[in-house]
Amino acid sequence: MISFRSAAEVFAAIQPVKAGATDFCTNFFPDKKKLEEWVERNEMSGESRAGALFLFRRDRDFFRLFFCAASPAALREGLATLPNLRDERMVAEVVGAESALTGILAGLEAAGFHRYRQLQRMARPGQSSLPPVVGAEMPVTLAERADAPTILNLLLGAFDRYAEQLPTASEVESAVAAGQIFVVKLDGALAGLLFFETQGMTSTLRYWLVTEGFRDRHVGAALMRRYLASQSAVRRFLLWVIASNDNAVQKYMRFGFAPDGLVDHVLASAPIHNENHR
Amino acid sequence: MFWPVRPFTMKTIAEILKEIRPEFDFTTSTDFKADGMLDSFDMVALVAALDKNYGISISGVDIIPENFQNLETIAALLRKNGVQP
Repeated sequence: MISFRSAAEVFAAIQPVKAGATDFCTNFFPDKKKLEEWVERNEMSGESRAGALFLFRRDRDFFRLFFCAASPAALREGLATLPNLRDERMVAEVVGAESALTGILAGLEAAGFHRYRQLQRMARPGQSSLPPVVGAEMPVTLAERADAPTILNLLLGAFDRYAEQLPTASEVESAVAAGQIFVVKLDGALAGLLFFETQGMTSTLRYWLVTEGFRDRHVGAALMRRYLASQSAVRRFLLWVIASNDNAVQKYMRFGFAPDGLVDHVLASAPIHNENHR
Repeated sequence: MFWPVRPFTMKTIAEILKEIRPEFDFTTSTDFKADGMLDSFDMVALVAALDKNYGISISGVDIIPENFQNLETIAALLRKNGVQP
């Protein structure tokens, strides 16, 4: 097992795999800043094999598996030698068209992974029309520091931690400080929130939810309108949604989002698969 | 199979990028990632487009953000793959 003390060590471990690659494949496209945070929090470890490097990021009570392999065959051979792969709670994500990922998906499935969820990416041009305003005006504001624990609890309760890359407490606090979370508070409670990240001219909507008891009051629409209006320099809005969640997909489409063809295959190890098929 | 290698210009690279992400003007940026114009998934699409347009096969080891930072770095990658301006 490799323990990493810096992001540079992670990148250095990948180099020998790249150097001998014939058909390099990977699901590891890290944002350097995020990788540094993971290493700093001791969340990253690895296993090296001939022609392959496997990286494990601890995420709450399970691991996220990343790989860099000289070829799909090297990936498959390396996966077969990993200890405890069938016993650990582990998730691997692979993005792309199914037809282009045959060898990679087959390798993961041979190692005991099961298809868990499929996410689709939706995109919206910066300047798109909005549906007409319905209902009373809502008090949309930026979240405050004191809202962070409630926001995290709402996210943990509403989204699938295996498939939807939920933030840590410190990431929520950072997002609040950076003005990346809009909220609606009604009757002294947090009625809804919208969490986003903007990089240059692209903004990614990460989470949008209305809490139970406040639905059908147009809270979600108010949050979305405020968010879209606040990003006047953005030329492209993106989001990932579980493809089978027709309700969410329809809501996004009302605000001008449309599937852009990119698919994220989320695979889970047997313990996660089994707990969802009891 | 023999693939004729076509020459490139900054304009043709920008046109290929525009086909992938029509909402952006790639001639105005020196850091596509920082400006939110190109992400890792777009890079994969760009590689496929460059392979097709120039009759080359960019290696997976070269699909790293540094090679797709701006028009100059993409031009350098094309040169590395035998495409001449």
